[in-house]
Amino acid sequence: MATPALKMKMKTAGCAQSIVCDGNEAAAWAVALARPDLVAVYPITPQSSLVEYVSQFIADGKIEAELMNVEGEHSVLSALHGAALAGGRTYTATCGPGLAFMFEPYWRTPGMRLPIVASLVTRDGITPQCVWGGQQDAMTMKETGWIQIYCETVQEVLDTTIMAYRIAEHHDVMLPVNICHDGNYLSYGVTQVEVPEQSAVDDYLGEKNINWHVALDPLRPMAVDPLTGGAGGPGPGKFVAYRQGLCEGMQNALGVIEQAHSDWADIFGRDYAPLVEEYRLDDADYALVTIGSMTGAAKDAVDSARERGERVGIIKIKTFRPFPVEAMARALKKVHAVGVVDRSVHYGWNCGPLFQEVLSCVYRTGKPIATGSFIGGLAGADLTETHFTRAIDRTAQLLAGTEFDGPVWLNEND
Amino acid sequence: MNTTHYLIAGASHAGLEAAHRIRLVDETSPITMVTRDAHPPYSPTILPYVVSGQSEPGRVVLRKPDWFEQHNINLVSDDELVAIDEAQRQVTLKSGQQWQYEKLLLATGADPIIPPIPGLEKTPFHVLRTMQHAVALRDHAGKAKRAVVLGAGLIGMHGAENLRHAGLEVTIVEMCDQVLPGYFDSRAASVIEEAFNDNGIRMLMGSRVVEVEPEGEGCRIQLENGDSLETELLLVATGVRPQLDFLAGTSVANDQGILVDDRMRTSADNIWAAGDVTQATDFYGDKPVMMGILPDAVTQGAVAAMDMSEDHALKPYAGGVPINTYTFFGQQAISVGQSMAEDGIEELTRLDDDNRGYLKILLRDNQLHGISSINQEMDAGIMWQLILRRVDLTPVRDAFIERPLETGRALMSSTWR
Amino acid sequence: MTAYNTIAFDPSRCELCNDCDACITACAQVKSGTDNPLHSRIKIVAGFNGNDPELALCRQCGDPECVKSCPSTALTKNPETGMIDWEKSLCVDCLLCTVGCTYGGITYNATLKHVAKCDLCDGDPACVKACPSGALTYVTSASIFNEQHEREDLFVPGLSACQGCNSEMIMRHSLRKVGPDTVLATPPGCIPGMGSVGFNGTTGTKVPVFHPLLTNTASMLAGLKKQYNRMGRNVTAMALAGDGGAGDVGFQSLSGAAERNDQVLFICVDNEGYMNTGMQASGSTSYGSWTTTTPVGSQMKGKRTGQKNLAMIMMNHNCEYVATASTAFVEDYYEKLDKALEASERGFAYLHIYSPCPTGWRFPSSQTIEVCRKGVETNFAPLWEYERGGELRFTHSIDNPLPVEAYLNLSGKYRHVSEEQLAHIQEQVNERVKTLKRFAGMN
Ligand SMILES: Cc1cc2nc3c(=O)[nH]c(=O)nc-3n(C[C@H](O)[C@H](O)[C@H](O)COP(=O)(O)OP(=O)(O)OC[C@H]3O[C@@H](n4cnc5c(N)ncnc54)[C@H](O)[C@@H]3O)c2cc1C
Ligand code: SF4
Ligand code: SF4
Repeated sequence: MATPALKMKMKTAGCAQSIVCDGNEAAAWAVALARPDLVAVYPITPQSSLVEYVSQFIADGKIEAELMNVEGEHSVLSALHGAALAGGRTYTATCGPGLAFMFEPYWRTPGMRLPIVASLVTRDGITPQCVWGGQQDAMTMKETGWIQIYCETVQEVLDTTIMAYRIAEHHDVMLPVNICHDGNYLSYGVTQVEVPEQSAVDDYLGEKNINWHVALDPLRPMAVDPLTGGAGGPGPGKFVAYRQGLCEGMQNALGVIEQAHSDWADIFGRDYAPLVEEYRLDDADYALVTIGSMTGAAKDAVDSARERGERVGIIKIKTFRPFPVEAMARALKKVHAVGVVDRSVHYGWNCGPLFQEVLSCVYRTGKPIATGSFIGGLAGADLTETHFTRAIDRTAQLLAGTEFDGPVWLNEND
Repeated sequence: MNTTHYLIAGASHAGLEAAHRIRLVDETSPITMVTRDAHPPYSPTILPYVVSGQSEPGRVVLRKPDWFEQHNINLVSDDELVAIDEAQRQVTLKSGQQWQYEKLLLATGADPIIPPIPGLEKTPFHVLRTMQHAVALRDHAGKAKRAVVLGAGLIGMHGAENLRHAGLEVTIVEMCDQVLPGYFDSRAASVIEEAFNDNGIRMLMGSRVVEVEPEGEGCRIQLENGDSLETELLLVATGVRPQLDFLAGTSVANDQGILVDDRMRTSADNIWAAGDVTQATDFYGDKPVMMGILPDAVTQGAVAAMDMSEDHALKPYAGGVPINTYTFFGQQAISVGQSMAEDGIEELTRLDDDNRGYLKILLRDNQLHGISSINQEMDAGIMWQLILRRVDLTPVRDAFIERPLETGRALMSSTWR
Repeated sequence: MTAYNTIAFDPSRCELCNDCDACITACAQVKSGTDNPLHSRIKIVAGFNGNDPELALCRQCGDPECVKSCPSTALTKNPETGMIDWEKSLCVDCLLCTVGCTYGGITYNATLKHVAKCDLCDGDPACVKACPSGALTYVTSASIFNEQHEREDLFVPGLSACQGCNSEMIMRHSLRKVGPDTVLATPPGCIPGMGSVGFNGTTGTKVPVFHPLLTNTASMLAGLKKQYNRMGRNVTAMALAGDGGAGDVGFQSLSGAAERNDQVLFICVDNEGYMNTGMQASGSTSYGSWTTTTPVGSQMKGKRTGQKNLAMIMMNHNCEYVATASTAFVEDYYEKLDKALEASERGFAYLHIYSPCPTGWRFPSSQTIEVCRKGVETNFAPLWEYERGGELRFTHSIDNPLPVEAYLNLSGKYRHVSEEQLAHIQEQVNERVKTLKRFAGMN
């Protein structure tokens, strides 16, 4: 049996109210429930309404956090660094060019092991100048050491943003987390969501202890980030130890993410596949690999194909960093061909970045699996059931032995 | 057994400066000072003025008891160093007290020389080195009418003048044919002699005493030329010499005084010496010399202390330079460095019209070798530094010869800024 | 310990060469009622070979040699005033004090028939009042030491700064004063380069210290301070940043924090360039300066543009407190540091300290303070302060400045400067002072 995307338990214990909202507002509700100490904001499309909601919540006393209206994303994250080193729980959101401008402190955050949570309301890269959704921004950051988790639904945005604090602040992890939700589709897509109860969230997150390992505190004086490395003395070994520690934290995160999700399901009744979701995969001959909000349309297309007798399923990735190699390989083993649908481009490999990573896992399955790269949904373009039906057809051809060069651009004729 | 880190024998200029310097860099190690005097520390230089009554013994105390307290220094008075066991690093005092030390400084000064004059041993006479001496001399002077002073060195001259101020008839007997030999040339000496004569002091220069004998309240003094003097009061001031009996059995090398290197280390481990007790490097020559002047005692005390306390700012002792600032009957004779020209020395002299002002500059290769003056404004300290630092006067030579005072001031001030 | 006053002498302002002897006459008058210079206890003497005049005057020494040479206890250092007192009734006229003193500070007066020395006129020296040129000033000399020596130096010994480094001096003075309840940011540059944050797990500072990015010092501190406020803890958020990290690449975050009036004490140590990485030019590098990226060659003669005046820009942010300072005027700096520290409890406080760099500017390491001083005295680096809502106030007179050559001549980085360039620099200095004066409400 495939893992269902969402096991709806009616009348769950932790539900306070049911509201209708978009993904940006859902994220703001999650921030309110996570009780951060400091939120620093700088607006950017399509994240802007998110920080507007958060600011309004703070203005209304719904969030009791310090609000910093900072002069740019670079300082946004820097302020969060300062607060986290003083022991504060922090939040911000950004995307696209804002994320690019934030890069210098962003790049540094994992090395400092600061458990900062930031929403990425994903946006395509420039140029051409563009203000619409796409995952190019988040994918560009995949080698920086941040945990990246991609949401499929508005409810999942709310739930996962809260879970992010549990994951980031876990003492075996201590890494920053990006909760990625697709610009336009999730940021502005309105649905009904359940808002958990504050007390249940408080129990779920527990006491925070942000700076037990690194702090700027006169009561515990230490030098934060001395020059480390070089070619002699204790430097090289020390540097390696820091790197190894970070890699270890990343790997530890896999288990922590799973635990965070199963505890969430126990309390709040919503059970998400934490790493990789398998949809109608067990008896499938081939599958599409998807990421984020596109998965809904992909599932519809698979359902339709199934009616036509195609033995096709879906492998959806939720946790992209750390990459769930085992879970992915386990899923891949069940099929003979996969078509990987990316919402961004992997320059130089002429494919999508997710495709490239799936390819690495194919080797781990020990079996020949035919693979093809699909790229769609760039710059806010819609990925409909029709697009996925096309992807299914091409993947079926792969299964039959017709390989193709280069990616299939799903929106090229739109 | 008492223990201390620093043990300083002698609590006068050299010893006190040493204690002060040690405390500048070492605030905690125990310091113990031992002094022979029962009186709180004073300067031997002040004693002639105690004799005349100008200075009161109670008002010339160099360091009050609270100073020792503040600096955490243990002062043992009225006791005397009599023996040193250098291997065990122990000393024995006259009282029998024993002290274990880490570092020992000998700053015991010098004692009057008693010349081998027949009859002196059975004649009552005075010397002047301690407060006790001064008080005894003062009390005696109050009762006496006549005084004879043997020796026209510093002590004799100061003693004679102050006895005169105390109202006595004073005669000075000196073997050499000038006063203050070594400090002043004969011309300066003659100005001084004249002043003494003018003030009613008989100056018997080039005279030798062959015998003394007690006579009534006082004594009779037989001179080589056949003359004889009668006096109630005899002051013997024929020089000083360190008393070094306590060195017996030690490896501390000595000649007339304790021999020291340019850090005031003696030849024995953990033992230093400073002040009048030493025979130290001569600024002008290779042979170690006895200095016996106050500023030098201070300097040596400082050098010793800095070495003992491992003060990195230590500058080795540059060598002794004779200095004399001599005030007599309201006039001044000042001499810094050598006073006599020898080979290779350029001598420049200037004499005031009235013959009372006098200036002499000695230069060697355009460095100041010595300067002396009578009744001229003179910054002795600046001249001393110009000599010690071997300041090259070539660029300012004419100005220096013309106006040594201003030029010296400008030179020193420029090094200060 | 009390602070001691003393008479300071600035030979470059002295008018002796123009036959001025106002101080000498004034002293003779108060001490003897005559104009006879022999009675003056201050003597100004001509510098030899045309150099600046020199001073013979008692320095009221801390470890006075005159006192040590005095056998009579007539001379003592007064613990209250710091003055060397002379007691006539004890003096025996032996003149040994004149042997101890190497400054001509105590001399024999033939009319009085005893030694005489400066007694600071009981705290109101006549010579200083009489001096028409400002060469003599009455200053509190040892106050810095007296006040500060009890405080702990919160940097470790042995930071690996260059010999004569002014920045190290600024760091040590500043942190010692600000104290241990501080979190210190030292962005990349000379300061962490000399080891403030340490190397490979060691530290160079006894308070929590960190390397921000070159770009984000102010914003990191702002966030940190907010968190401590939230926790109800009083922690000073302090930066010691170079001019590049403050005014060039880090300027955005600096400006943002100043605009938000975040409670930060931001000290910019301005050595006019990227000295730690090999003396490259920054926005703060002054016109004409040689640096490794504004070299001297046939087509270029040092920096071709003027310097960004960061302190003035910060003043225009209307921060709580903005001031410039120099280590040649440490009393002034400490006063400003006090005010800045206090202001940083209310909002953003910015101190801009001129920090001549012996290595990068090419002057002997012994000359650091002299370069600092001349910077101020030529108005190249004027000292002023500004409090939110108030006017700019000069804390060192801008009147009668020395010509700017007096400053430029000291540093090798200006060695090549031509007559035209020199004129241009003088012009810039004048212009800047004019602008500052407008902010000071002066004309
Ligand atoms: C009358 C007179 C006039 C002088 N005038 C001048 C002058 O005008 N200019 C000048 O420069 N110099 C002058 N001097 C010389 C000057 O006083 C000395 O050079 C100076 O005092 C030397 O200092 P000192 O510390 O080495 O020894 P001293 O001052 O001699 O002190 C020796 C110390 O050691 C102590 N002591 C001695 N033996 C022992 C022992 N065995 N154990 C323990 N303690 C002991 C004594 O009690 C004393 O405390 C004069 C000296 C005299 C006597
Ligand atoms: S008189 Fe000379 S030694 Fe004495 S305090 Fe003044 S400057 Fe110093
Ligand atoms: S002249 Fe007077 S003040 Fe100077 S050393 Fe002699 S006694 Fe002391």
